[in-house]
Amino acid sequence: MLQAPDIALAPLLPILLVLAGAVSSTVLGFHLPRRTLTFINLALLVLSGIAMGLLWSGPGEVPATAFGGGLQADNAAVLLGLTIVVGSVMTLLVSLDTAYRARVSFPEFDAMLMYAITGTLLIAFSGDLIVMLIGLEIMSLASYVLATLQDSRRAEESGLKYFLLGSAGSAVLIYGLALVYGATGSLGYAGIAEATSGLTPGNLGLLVGGALLLLAGFGFKVALAPFHQWTPDVYSGAPTSVSLFLSTVVKVAAFAGMLRVFGGALQNAPFWADALQILIAATLIIGNAASLFQTNFKRMLAYSAVAHTGFVAMTLLGTPGLGGAALGYYLLIYTLMTAAALAVVAALQRSEAGMEISDLRGLYYRHPGYAIALAVCLASLAGLPPFAGFFGKYLAFQAAFQNGYVWLSILAVLASVAALVYYLRPAMLMFMPDRTPAREYPHGQRPATNLTVALGVAGITVLGLLPNLWYGWVADPAIWELLAGR
Amino acid sequence: MIHLMIFLPLLGALLLLVTPRTWREEVAGFFAALTLGLGLWLWRDGGAALYSAPWVPALGATYSVELAGPSLALALVTALMTLVAVIYAARRIENPGTMLALVLAMESALLGIFAARDLVLFYVFFEAALLPSLLMLAIYGGPERMRALVKFAAYTLLGSLLMLLSIIGVRYFGGSPTFALRDLAANPVEGVTQTWLYLGFLAAMAVKLPLWPLHAWLPDFHEQNHASGIPDLMGTLYKVGGYGLFAFALPLFPDASLELRPVLMALAAFTALYGAWIAFRQTNWKRLLAYAGLSHMGIVGLGMFSLNETATVGALYLLAFQNVYTGALFLGVGMLQERIGSVDTRVGGVMTQAGALSGLTMALWFASIAVPGLAGFIGEFSVLLGAYQVSPWLAFIAGLSTIAAAAYALTAFQTTFWQGRPLGSVRVADLEQTEWLVLGIPLAVAILFGVYSAPALNLIQPAVRGVLSALGGQ
Repeated sequence: MLQAPDIALAPLLPILLVLAGAVSSTVLGFHLPRRTLTFINLALLVLSGIAMGLLWSGPGEVPATAFGGGLQADNAAVLLGLTIVVGSVMTLLVSLDTAYRARVSFPEFDAMLMYAITGTLLIAFSGDLIVMLIGLEIMSLASYVLATLQDSRRAEESGLKYFLLGSAGSAVLIYGLALVYGATGSLGYAGIAEATSGLTPGNLGLLVGGALLLLAGFGFKVALAPFHQWTPDVYSGAPTSVSLFLSTVVKVAAFAGMLRVFGGALQNAPFWADALQILIAATLIIGNAASLFQTNFKRMLAYSAVAHTGFVAMTLLGTPGLGGAALGYYLLIYTLMTAAALAVVAALQRSEAGMEISDLRGLYYRHPGYAIALAVCLASLAGLPPFAGFFGKYLAFQAAFQNGYVWLSILAVLASVAALVYYLRPAMLMFMPDRTPAREYPHGQRPATNLTVALGVAGITVLGLLPNLWYGWVADPAIWELLAGR
Repeated sequence: MIHLMIFLPLLGALLLLVTPRTWREEVAGFFAALTLGLGLWLWRDGGAALYSAPWVPALGATYSVELAGPSLALALVTALMTLVAVIYAARRIENPGTMLALVLAMESALLGIFAARDLVLFYVFFEAALLPSLLMLAIYGGPERMRALVKFAAYTLLGSLLMLLSIIGVRYFGGSPTFALRDLAANPVEGVTQTWLYLGFLAAMAVKLPLWPLHAWLPDFHEQNHASGIPDLMGTLYKVGGYGLFAFALPLFPDASLELRPVLMALAAFTALYGAWIAFRQTNWKRLLAYAGLSHMGIVGLGMFSLNETATVGALYLLAFQNVYTGALFLGVGMLQERIGSVDTRVGGVMTQAGALSGLTMALWFASIAVPGLAGFIGEFSVLLGAYQVSPWLAFIAGLSTIAAAAYALTAFQTTFWQGRPLGSVRVADLEQTEWLVLGIPLAVAILFGVYSAPALNLIQPAVRGVLSALGGQ
């Protein structure tokens, strides 16, 4: 007797809207110019955001699910999904202005981007390991293509590196997944969380092994040291708009998956937190120390993305309530400031290699708007108030500190000082008077990039002065204590 | 009213960005004067009472501000010296729009530091003041500014991030519902945890006091800043470590303050003597002033760490008024540099051609080296008097610095303003127009509060008594 599958349209709608964008870009690409497709996709992303907003469940309401809990549209999914949508919209806007110069202005770019976003949303909405894995693979495969899409040696190198290391990461992840399934007999997050409490010693060993393999796999995806090696090469080799996408949306999604798995399914499993603590410490040290020695601005931002992985991952060490809230806040802020900074790079770079840090000298006197915006982003990345990056860092410190990771917090403080140095140098160079010829690309109208930058800068300023506008939504601990679903 | 006073300069700074070029000086002057006027009005009304509103309820951060007692005194001095800086910038700097905007933005952040009664809010203002200060150095600084910048920012951030951990810890371990000072003080942290948290807090305050061995950013910062001395003046106002210790560390970490008192007093006394000693060897006016400031701050620290009422009152008095005369001296160096193109202390003979400039500078130096009848004397004398009751030997060591101060100040003054003018050197013009105000107003204030200290003491003393009595009193 066949059972009717449990299909509900409402929780699927945000993902389906994005998928529709991907499919239509694939099909209509033969008939419509790429810009038109981009506008269609932007509209679909906004619609998907609205659909997510409608899924918000107030106090007492039961979140919508589909496929017997395989897909859950709880508030955590909605919040992370909205962050993904914000990052995606910013990527598409930037690509409107720069894709042509980057020689990636064809419909396949949009199609791949939308496929990747579909995957990221699947991860955020996932209710079991298989859905999460499918989302992760869709996202990763599309990202490999995006990184390679530009017809240049640098992009090919970047894409191939990403593919080889990324698929190794995926393999490790799948192996971990199998072990966790073997230990608990369940693929759903709720089932795993339930089963972790009463395991036989043999199964416990399997679970620990599986959790560590999962940690390594996710470590590849979010760029935790020592699995971060691909990051700087891929981010600096890919076209800047793609780097923007990879370092914001893809990272947000990978963290969403990590939160689901470690904060939800494995929250009672032993030992992974200790291992994660060591990985974070290594990431903070390596990411920040390496950034100090970069001479290329785009590559420095790539290393800074690694360093930020360390800060963001600190939130996973907090109690689910506090840590989840901190993660939810930090990811949005991180998306806004990184996207705005890379948008400025995309607008001003002469080639897709980005610009040298020394080229930024005197930018304030040539492009005051971009210089101030970039300075605001860098100050926020460095964690200086009154910009929102400060509250992100504060929340991450608080989450780790209050859960007993005092030494890690102190290490993070020292790492932040190093971070300040490498953010400060380009930021201050821009304001130093300069008499040499300009080294940035001065031509062209960039309304969409300007909009993106304005959005990002306004976001990090307003959320820095009034953090409650976003933190008020993510702060409810109940959202993050039921990550596994019920 | 209090909110207006804090944010009015920031509003002015933003307005400057859209003001036509010819009106910028007037607009900036108007906003600086209005802020000072508001401050004086508040003073007449006896200060602004505590205002508290939730800011980030989920975090427990509140927007709590109060301007009364020592914070009002410091805020008034800040507003006054910002006005002086604006007056001088309008005269000295070509097209000063950016500089004026930064000065006003910094004034906002500084007033916020003094008004904040919530630790997170305090932290935000504390760091926000860093940005304009860095930008002034970046835009107007000297050839080695990048090194000075990085040093300054790294020291500040190292201290303040450790303070941030302490802030998190104070609330978490004390179990206070919010970060408001009142709630935190009602839920104190006990035992050895308190000592560790105090050390974290101290890191930030020691950098900003500055206290040896965390002072290394100071001389480079002043040396590399714009020759006019305006950023130096703002940087002097930004040395809020002594205030932070008084307003937050003493109420929140009473036991730890008592426990670490000998060590910290010794460090402060050493800082005072060390600063004066190094100042003696300087041949650059700005470095000399930086070390002289360090020496004064050692005395402020001595008073603050001694937990003695007289010494603490003296420390706050000194902290407030050294801003006036040290700041004015930086501007005086700026005027000297404008005339002779150098900040070297071995120029010689300026007095013969620019009598007023030299005379006013000398009078300000007298205030700085604590000649009786000027504001510096009351502060330093009270600190030493109070510290003597706690630790005679440390008071003696710090007292040596006042002798050394006379030595370094007068030697440098002699080689610059007296002696012969080298043959063939350009003629030095005397003070002109608003320059009289720039040096005259601070000197008038230094004299007024040197002979008639009651108004300022009335602001400072009750608050000190309140804080120290909560500590068990001396």
